[in-house]
Amino acid sequence: MRNSVKIQTRRKDPARFLPYAFIAPLAAYLLIFHAYPLMQEFILSTTYTSLLDPSLREFVGLDNYRDVLGDPEFHKVLRITAIYTVICVSGGVGLGLLVALLLDFNFRGRGLARALITIPWAAPPVAVALIFIWMYNAQFGIFNDILSGLGISAEPINWLDDPQRALPAVLFATIWQIFPFSSVVILSALQGVQSELREAAIIDGADKLSVFKAVVWPTIRPTVAILALLLTVWSLRRFDVIWVMTQGGPLGETNTLVIDLYRRAFVYLDLGHAAAVGVIGVCIALVVTFIYFWLSARADRAAGK
Amino acid sequence: MALRFQNIKKKFGDLTVIRDISLDVGDDDFLVLLGPSGCGKSTLLRMIAGLEEVTSGEIHLNGRQVEHLPPSDRNMAFVFQSYALYPHMTVRRNITFPLIMREHKWWFHIPLVGYLAKRRIETKPDIRELVSITAETLGLTQVLDKHPRTLSGGQRQRVALGRAMVRQPAAFLMDEPLSNLDAKLRTAMRAEITRLHHRLGGTFVYVTHDQVEAMTMGTKIALLRGGDIQQFGTPREIYERPANTYVARFIGTPPMNLIEAQFQGDSLRIGDRLLPLPETAPRGDDRKVWLGIRPDAISLTTADAADALPVRVTLVEHAGAESLLAFDPGSLRVARDEDGQSDIMATQSGYSGIVAGDRVGLTLDIAQASYFDIDSGLRID
Amino acid sequence: MNRSWAFHFRILAVLAVLGIAAFPVYWMAVTSMTSSEELFAGSPRLLPDPAQIGTYARALVSTPLLTWLGNSLIIALGTTALSLLLAILPAYALSRMSFRGKLLLALGLFVTQMLPEAMLVVPLYDIFSRFALLDSLTGLILANTAFAVPVVTWILKGAIDGIPTEIEEAARIDGCSRVGIVLTIVLPLIAPTLAAVAVIAFFQGWNEYVFAQTFISDESLKVASVGLASFVGELSTPMDTVMAVGLTYTLPAVVFYLLVQRYIVAGMTSGGVKG
Repeated sequence: MRNSVKIQTRRKDPARFLPYAFIAPLAAYLLIFHAYPLMQEFILSTTYTSLLDPSLREFVGLDNYRDVLGDPEFHKVLRITAIYTVICVSGGVGLGLLVALLLDFNFRGRGLARALITIPWAAPPVAVALIFIWMYNAQFGIFNDILSGLGISAEPINWLDDPQRALPAVLFATIWQIFPFSSVVILSALQGVQSELREAAIIDGADKLSVFKAVVWPTIRPTVAILALLLTVWSLRRFDVIWVMTQGGPLGETNTLVIDLYRRAFVYLDLGHAAAVGVIGVCIALVVTFIYFWLSARADRAAGK
Repeated sequence: MALRFQNIKKKFGDLTVIRDISLDVGDDDFLVLLGPSGCGKSTLLRMIAGLEEVTSGEIHLNGRQVEHLPPSDRNMAFVFQSYALYPHMTVRRNITFPLIMREHKWWFHIPLVGYLAKRRIETKPDIRELVSITAETLGLTQVLDKHPRTLSGGQRQRVALGRAMVRQPAAFLMDEPLSNLDAKLRTAMRAEITRLHHRLGGTFVYVTHDQVEAMTMGTKIALLRGGDIQQFGTPREIYERPANTYVARFIGTPPMNLIEAQFQGDSLRIGDRLLPLPETAPRGDDRKVWLGIRPDAISLTTADAADALPVRVTLVEHAGAESLLAFDPGSLRVARDEDGQSDIMATQSGYSGIVAGDRVGLTLDIAQASYFDIDSGLRID
Repeated sequence: MNRSWAFHFRILAVLAVLGIAAFPVYWMAVTSMTSSEELFAGSPRLLPDPAQIGTYARALVSTPLLTWLGNSLIIALGTTALSLLLAILPAYALSRMSFRGKLLLALGLFVTQMLPEAMLVVPLYDIFSRFALLDSLTGLILANTAFAVPVVTWILKGAIDGIPTEIEEAARIDGCSRVGIVLTIVLPLIAPTLAAVAVIAFFQGWNEYVFAQTFISDESLKVASVGLASFVGELSTPMDTVMAVGLTYTLPAVVFYLLVQRYIVAGMTSGGVKG
C-alpha cells in the first residue's frame, strides 16, 4: 500500500515541478537584476560612498535621507518633476485623444496615416533630443525662423539656455514623442465603441458632443485612465531626452528626479545621496504602479462583466 | 398613407443592395421586412431611420418627405438587435435620455450648467410621469435605478422598448429585436410587442429572418430577396397565395412541396396519374407547371390506391403534436432547394405508425394547391 | 455639399498632424543634405540638396559611425534573443499552469515593468564594477534584458491566453510533451506577437542610453545613442555630418517599426496596456 502510493507520487513528480522549471531562469534573472540591485540601492543609501572608491563605505544611517529631504534644491527637483509629469501626461493624453478622434473615420490611406503618425514614437529618444536641439538653436534653428517668419518674434530666442523656456522646450519635444503612443492606444479603444450604441444615441437626437459623452467616453475611459498612469510612470523615469537636451540645466530648471540622481552619482560622485534619491523615486513609482495595477484589475473586471 | 417608399435604390460602391423598392404602408400597420441574410431588409430599415443615406428615391412618413433629414429630425424610434443600452446609465436615465436630447441646447455642454439643466429636465413632473408610466407598462418599475448589465435579456429588451416608446415616435423601427433571446422568451416578447402595437397604434416596421415572427406579428409582410421585393401582402395572402416559387418555399415549415405536373383539359397529370382539377383552379392546354402543395394538404393511403401517388417513406420524425414524413419522389420530378433537398414532405397529426422504408400512397388535396410557371416560377391564377 | 466640406477639412487636419509628426525626422534629412554655408546663411533650405549626398560618405569616414551602429546592433540583437529565451516558457507557465508563487511572479513582473531604470543605475554600476561587467557589451545586454524581459513576458502571456485550450488538449492526447506543445503549437500561433515583442526588445537595446553612457568608457565599445549624444556641445563635427549620423541611427528603427507596427499596437494594447 505505502509502496504504491510512493510510486504514484514519484511518477507525478516531473509534471509537478515543470512550472518551476519553466519559470526558474526568469525568476533568477529578476532576483539578480532587480531585487538584488534594489537591496543594494537601499544599503548604499544608508552609507556615505564615493564613486571614486565604491568599496569604501561609511554607514550613516538615515542621514542621507535627512539631507536630501531637507535640501531646498531637492524640493525644487520634486516640483519640477511634478510639473514635467503633469504636463507630459495631460498633454500626451489630451493631444493623443484629439488625434485619435481625428483619425477615427474612413478615408483612403487610413492605414498609412495611422502608421506614419507613429514615427515620433519609433524614433530613438537620443536622436529626438539631437534634432530638437538643432531646431531650438538660437541663431540657426528652424523654430526661430518660423517665429520671425510669422512676425511673432524677430529677436532670436535662446530656447534651451533660458531658464524660463528650457522646461517648456523639453516638454514640447517629449510630448511630440509620446502623443503617437496615446493616439494609437486610444484609437484601438475606439474600435470597442459599439456602432449600434452610437447609432442609438444619434436616433435619440444626440449631437456629436453628446454622442461622445454618452457613448464614446464611457467606453474608452478605463483605457484612458490606464494610459495616463502609464505615461506618469514613463515621465518619472525619462532620462535620455532631458539629459541630452539640457543635462538638467539651466539653473536646474529641467532637473527632474532621475536627472538629479544621475548628477549626484556621476557628476558629484556621491553614490550615497544618489541612492537615497533613487529609493525615494522607486517609492513614488511603486505608488503609481499600484494605482495602475488596481485600475487595470478594475477595468478587467468591468470588461469581463 | 403613413409610410411610403418610392423607387428606393441603394448602392454601396458598385454593389446594389436595394434595387428599386416602392411600398405603401397604412397608419396602424405592422410591417415586417422578411428575408434571408443579405437581402437588404436591414439596409431598408436603416434608410428609414436615416442611419444610411438613400442612393435615390423618396421616403415619406405621414405625408412628410424625410429621406434627406438627419435621424434626429425624423421622430422615429429604433430598437437594435443588441438593444444598445447605455451601459453606464441606469434604466431610468436610459429611458429619459431621448427626452433630454429633445430639449438639448448647445449650452448644455458647459460643465455644471449643462448638468443642472439636464437634471432639471429629468425631474420635471410630466417627464417623471411619462417615464414611470412607461416603466409600469413594461414591468420595469422595480429595476428603474439599476444598470443594464444587472438585468436579464428580457428586461434589457423591455428597456430598449421603453426608450423607444417614451418618445411617442411617428414610427417604431425594430431590427431583429428578439434574436438574442431564448426560444421561450422570444415567444413571450412576440406577444408583448404585438400588444404594444395594438395599444400604441402607429406604424411599426420590424425586420426579421424568422418567418414565424413575420406571420404572427405582421399585418403586412414584405418578403425581400437580393434587394427586390418578392411579395408584399398580408400574412394570409403570402401563405395561401405565394407570388412565386421562392415565396412558396420560404414561408411555412416544412416548406411547400413543388411537384412537376401538366394541365390536361380539366385534369392535372402528375407522373402517370390524372387528377380532376377543381373549378377554381387555372387551366392550360398541356402546359407544364409546378404544383405547389403544403405538407398538411397531403394525406396517406395504401400504395395501390387508385388516385394516390405511390412513394417510399425515407424519414419519419415525431415532434409530439405532429409527425413529419419525408418520401422519395421516385419518378416524379420535384423542385430542388439550394441544398439539394428533394424529398416530398407531409405532416400528420399525432404519432404516426409508419416507419422508414414503408411503401404508401399520397393523396393530394389540390383544392388548396398553387400553380407556378415551370420556367419563371411565377404564380398562375 | 456641407458633408463633403467637413470631410475635406478633416483630411486637411489629418495631413497637418502627419506633417507635425514627420517634420523633425524630415528636418534631420534636410539638414544632413544642406551644405555648411547654407546652414549658417540667413534663410533655411526647406528641401534636401541632392548634391550634398556626400555628407553620408564623409560621416562614415570622419566618425566611428559603423562601430557605433555595429555595437548597437549587437546590443539590440543580444537583448532580443536573451529576452525571448527567458520569457517564452514563463509566459506559458503564467498563462496555462497553476503553481505556488504564481501571483508573486505576476506581481514581480508587473512591478519591474514599471521600475525606472535610471533609478537603479547606481546600484547596478556598483554591482557591475564588482563583476567586471563594466566596459563590456555583455554587461549592457544583461542590463537591457532586465528591463525588456518583464514587458515581453507580460505581452506573450496575454497572447497565449488568447489561444483556445482545446488545441493544446488535442496535442496532449496525441502524446505531445509540454515543451513540445510550446514549441510546435503555441509559438507558431503567437507568431505575430512574437514579432512584436522581438521588436520591443530590439528597441530597448537599440535606443537605450543611460546604461550605455554610464557603463562604457572604451571608445571602441560605444553604442550609437552615446556616440550621437557626444556630438552635443562639441563643435568640431559639422552639423550636416551630425544629422547624417542621427538619421542613419534613426531610420532603421523607424522603418523596422513601421513594418511591424500593426502587431506592436495589438501587442501593446492587449498585453502591455491592459495589464
